[in-house]
Amino acid sequence: MLAFLIRSLEAAMIFTFAGLGELVDQRGGVLNVGLEGIMLFGATLGFIAAKITGNYFIGFMVGMGVGALLGLAHGFFSITLGVDQVVSGMGIWIFGFGMTTYIGNPHTGPLGLERLPTVFEISPFFFLAVAMVVVVWFVLSKTGWGLNVRSVGEQPEVAEVSGLKVARIRYLCVIFGGMMSGFAGAVYGLYYNPVWNYNFLMGWGFISLALVFFSMWNPFLLFGGAVLFGLLWQLSLNPQMFFPGLASRYIWRMVPFIMTILVLILISSNWFRTRWGAATPEALGKPYHKE
Amino acid sequence: MTVAGYQIQLRRRASLPGWKAAMFSFLALLFGLLLFSLIFLLADQSPREIYKQIFGYAFFNSYGLRLSINRFIFLAFASYAFIIPFRAGLWNIGMPGQLYMGALASFGVVYLLGGKTGELSISQPLLLAMLVLAAMLAGALVGGLAGFLKGKWNVNEIVVTMMLNFIAFYFVSFMIKDGGPFMNLGGRGESFELPEVARAPLLAGFPYTLLMVFALMFALQALFARMSLGYQIRAFGKSPLAARYAGVKPFWISIMVFVLGGAFAGLAGYHYFAAVPGVYKIARTYGYFGDLSFYGIICGLISLGNPIATLFIALLFGGLSIGGRYAQGKLHLGFGVDYALMGVLMISLVAFQFFYNYQIAITKKDS
Repeated sequence: MLAFLIRSLEAAMIFTFAGLGELVDQRGGVLNVGLEGIMLFGATLGFIAAKITGNYFIGFMVGMGVGALLGLAHGFFSITLGVDQVVSGMGIWIFGFGMTTYIGNPHTGPLGLERLPTVFEISPFFFLAVAMVVVVWFVLSKTGWGLNVRSVGEQPEVAEVSGLKVARIRYLCVIFGGMMSGFAGAVYGLYYNPVWNYNFLMGWGFISLALVFFSMWNPFLLFGGAVLFGLLWQLSLNPQMFFPGLASRYIWRMVPFIMTILVLILISSNWFRTRWGAATPEALGKPYHKE
Repeated sequence: MTVAGYQIQLRRRASLPGWKAAMFSFLALLFGLLLFSLIFLLADQSPREIYKQIFGYAFFNSYGLRLSINRFIFLAFASYAFIIPFRAGLWNIGMPGQLYMGALASFGVVYLLGGKTGELSISQPLLLAMLVLAAMLAGALVGGLAGFLKGKWNVNEIVVTMMLNFIAFYFVSFMIKDGGPFMNLGGRGESFELPEVARAPLLAGFPYTLLMVFALMFALQALFARMSLGYQIRAFGKSPLAARYAGVKPFWISIMVFVLGGAFAGLAGYHYFAAVPGVYKIARTYGYFGDLSFYGIICGLISLGNPIATLFIALLFGGLSIGGRYAQGKLHLGFGVDYALMGVLMISLVAFQFFYNYQIAITKKDS
């Protein structure tokens, strides 16, 4: 039971890392639907780097680095070149999916390193995730930087007139977002599921994206959603712990994905939006052209 | 920026003529293939030699050509599944889920008629019509669900269709593995084989689904060029707000495009699991075909949603992926060359989107 809970929290920390990056991204007005591709890249290259060098630290650095680069690419496409953000994000996802399948294949199998140490049996990354939630919340809502990011995401024209460099702030946001996603992928590939396999991320990037919508761009709600989905994911892997003999294991595997759709429906409903909503960054997904 | 007395400027385009858009698509494709050569160079192979091998096998070898055509049919259906919503500005990345359910529905018809264990005594045309309709219906239902959610509550269709992919993936596993109802009697973790009468007839060695592709091309061409629904889809894709003022109902458009798209993806599932010679079952590796349908996104984007151009691109990619697999085995390249190609083409396509929005103007500077 304890192992189950710990494992759930460890899944939650990965959703949290990826979701926080995307949250900052979106608060700055840039939508990145290519989260899955960045995470796949972070997981695969981080895995390969750690496997070859035998050094975890290098693996995480590579994961973060490739994530930041892909974030930069998304920024270049969508901010500088003015490409539709969804097109660019989809491009990054398919690029990641296609390339990592090819690159990772010779390394199929377990990582073969000693497992990372734990604190009270839980990964130290979990505490890092909690700390990051607080930090991102604090920076976004209590500091001048956060105000700048939010104003760029709400009213870029006004922000520009009042002296902010919209493009530069958005670039910083997407690079941060990419770095967090790449790191989340690396934690997945080096700690949570250190056995490389073709497309082994199983849609976690898309679930993280849905969690950001669910969070109404609030880091604490994002964390709550991540814990919920971490529990759900572990339950779908081990249904016999709670519901022995009920339904096939394949049916259980559908549950997190069904829940994601239900959650999206809930937050998109009129009832929810009039009661709680209206938090969406005003300029989300709209390219900004400086006049 | 000024270089040697010439001023280089970026200008935003107000509009882009169709032929120019087509040219940029073509250039993106060429650039992608060129970029892809790097992978061969990294593997210490001559790109010229490899492309020769790939195209030689895919289009000039009778066995390879048959494989290429089968894959072309599959990609054509998958691309049409993407194009219809895309013309309305919506993203259908749910082709895998829709085609899994389409295939399951076809097999379900055979199962209900008792064809799992023996031959069926039913007229073949009738049975085939039932299989095709079931596949289209199942695909349409899965697609339509995403369309309904989008139209009714504006639920993000990208995440929904992706989640439906995983749901359908596990549903197929449930049906064909671990003693599921469609499991092979030998217990091999794949579906039962279709009885003789349910297999698609071949025309000159190709499944009759090839004819459906061409019929569909004419139908879609007519839809976009002549029919009111096609006009509404296009108008909605260009500007949802303006379309709304013109009386287009967003709810119906999103349902219609996803129902149609899902039905075509269902056909892709029917084609690969019930019509390709030598298959006739839902194999253990069905996930591979699901992922392959993502090529439909690239075909649709390169062809700018044009149903005729799509077929040429689908034929090219069908050949490339078959030839790529062949070259991969022959020249000892790593697994997944066809997926890598997909990724490279996609990123090249994204980069070239720039030219749709901007033009580079070079003028002589008078000093």
